[in-house]
Amino acid sequence: MSSAQIEIQLIASVVAIACAIPGTFLVLRKMALITDAISHSILPGIVIGFFITHDLSSPLLIIMAAASGVLTVVLVEFIQKTGLVKEDTAIGLVFPALFSIGIILIAQNANDVHLDVDAVLLGELAFAPFDRFMISGINMGPKSLWIIGTILLITLGLLFAFFKELKVSTFDAGLASAMGLSPVVMHYGLMTVSSITTVGAFDAVGAILVIALMIAPAATAYLLTNDLKKMLLLAVIFGVGSAISGYWMAHILDTSISGSMTTVLGIIFLFVYLFAPNKGLFSVLYRQRQQRIEVSLLTFLLHLGNHKEEEERHVKHLNEHINWQKVQSKSVLDLALKNNMIIIHNDIVSLTKKGKKFTTEAIDYIVTNKNSEIENMKDRFFLFRG
Amino acid sequence: MSEKIAVRIDDLTVAYNYKPVLWDIDLAIPEGVLMAIVGPNGAGKSTLIKSILDIIKPIAGSIQIYGKPYKKQRSLVAYVPQKGSVDWDFPTTALDVVMMGTYGSLGWIKRPGQKQKKASLEALEKVGMLAFKNRQISQLSGGQQQRIFLARALVQNASIYFMDEPFQGVDATTEKAIINILKELRKAGKTVIVVHHDLQTVPEYFDWVTFLNVKKIATGPVKDIFNDDNLTKTYGINYKVSVQQ
Repeated sequence: MSSAQIEIQLIASVVAIACAIPGTFLVLRKMALITDAISHSILPGIVIGFFITHDLSSPLLIIMAAASGVLTVVLVEFIQKTGLVKEDTAIGLVFPALFSIGIILIAQNANDVHLDVDAVLLGELAFAPFDRFMISGINMGPKSLWIIGTILLITLGLLFAFFKELKVSTFDAGLASAMGLSPVVMHYGLMTVSSITTVGAFDAVGAILVIALMIAPAATAYLLTNDLKKMLLLAVIFGVGSAISGYWMAHILDTSISGSMTTVLGIIFLFVYLFAPNKGLFSVLYRQRQQRIEVSLLTFLLHLGNHKEEEERHVKHLNEHINWQKVQSKSVLDLALKNNMIIIHNDIVSLTKKGKKFTTEAIDYIVTNKNSEIENMKDRFFLFRG
Repeated sequence: MSEKIAVRIDDLTVAYNYKPVLWDIDLAIPEGVLMAIVGPNGAGKSTLIKSILDIIKPIAGSIQIYGKPYKKQRSLVAYVPQKGSVDWDFPTTALDVVMMGTYGSLGWIKRPGQKQKKASLEALEKVGMLAFKNRQISQLSGGQQQRIFLARALVQNASIYFMDEPFQGVDATTEKAIINILKELRKAGKTVIVVHHDLQTVPEYFDWVTFLNVKKIATGPVKDIFNDDNLTKTYGINYKVSVQQ
């Protein structure tokens, strides 16, 4: 690996971490769409900053961009508060307006600046190592690594300091407000960090793909854990993982690095969406199938409880009587046997004491939602969970 | 009952987009009462609580908690928002939600420690939810979620408790459990203010009641003012409930 290759992967990884942290909170606050808006509407801020400094990596650009990012949020909320349109419409109104101001500014002054829309939207990680940070002639490494590294350090510092405040204001803004832990400050703080991160990352991955880096790792992590800290950690791991594997994918296929990173993110999300242990698609389908069988089990047990006569309780007659397919009858019988709810004697099925108790309690639970005794059965039966 | 006033509201007017939802409310809530706020949908019941807790800014009027503005008395007040106001899919556990009740006394930046954890576990035990401490909150039933919210308020160890529809969507067992805890709080000299929907249970559960419908209709002891006259004035139709005294 050349040092340029290492540097590119390092920059990509730091960008991914810096994006995953605010991204996690944005996903939990159902504000994914606002990153889309911010990533576009920071353009006029960047352009104006660039006109003043003529330096694409000047801190003023970041400040101006962050300001226009926060302005986006303020405008969206202002329009929303009029009550005339909903939030999604307000977002759709604000960011194209700000973005187009940026586009016009670039077009008007395109002759004397090295700033074009493609560079802003797509970024180019491959060029990042060429722009060095020099202190009195000494090469300190790629400039963009310094910028995004600083942003990451600030983000981490804020996260550690205000983790509790962020959590409570995200989960229950009313309580946070009543406790004097101003959710408004947290909201705009998060928006500012998101804007700054977006502009710090845009140099490397572009304004569009930064959305993927913010949302996809967090959304993937959300499917895998019930713990906020773990969610943050997983989002970071997914971000870094796809940054590095995306780089090598681009290397092998000789294509865009940021495009490959985002593709890997998408593939990871798809994989987790399908196979996640609890929230994944297959897991949900399996649970639904189990629930179907368990409903059948209850129906079957209830039928046994209602009928004393032997011909109603013969194994072979069950297919016809309850009108089930053979496979279903078998899996229901197996489930009942496994849980000691029935005994089969000479092909005549009878309820055990446990089976009788279970049937009464389960029906009672389903009808009234009252029985707390069902609690110890919940772990074994999907039917009674959540 | 002492005649100390826990919450005093003068000339409170609250508006959303310049449309008043609370008009010129005067209200004095004595210390140590278990009070229901009743009124039809859109009467401003939740808004009243949120205004007292400084979550919503009123356009006029003043609110005092034991003679001082809310901002100086936060530590005396606990709040249970409507269950539906939060996202129960949030990645966190029952214990963690209860711990959030300690955040107010901790203040900014400081993290909860062993002391806060111990208090939270005790609160969970009090509401009968200790066995569920590590359960993810979306895996709890509606009644259990409400108990978690109650535990979170208990851990705030306040003098005044505000609860927004704590009986909404809970089963009968939980409702009994909650009301018993509220009655215990009153016995301990706390003031408990509850937005309540089920008029039938008002005489059984509460000793004080406020009728609200944008304006304050009446406030006072349940045995004196919980009658068809006030109910009709509040709900606008000829309202009859069988009041068992």
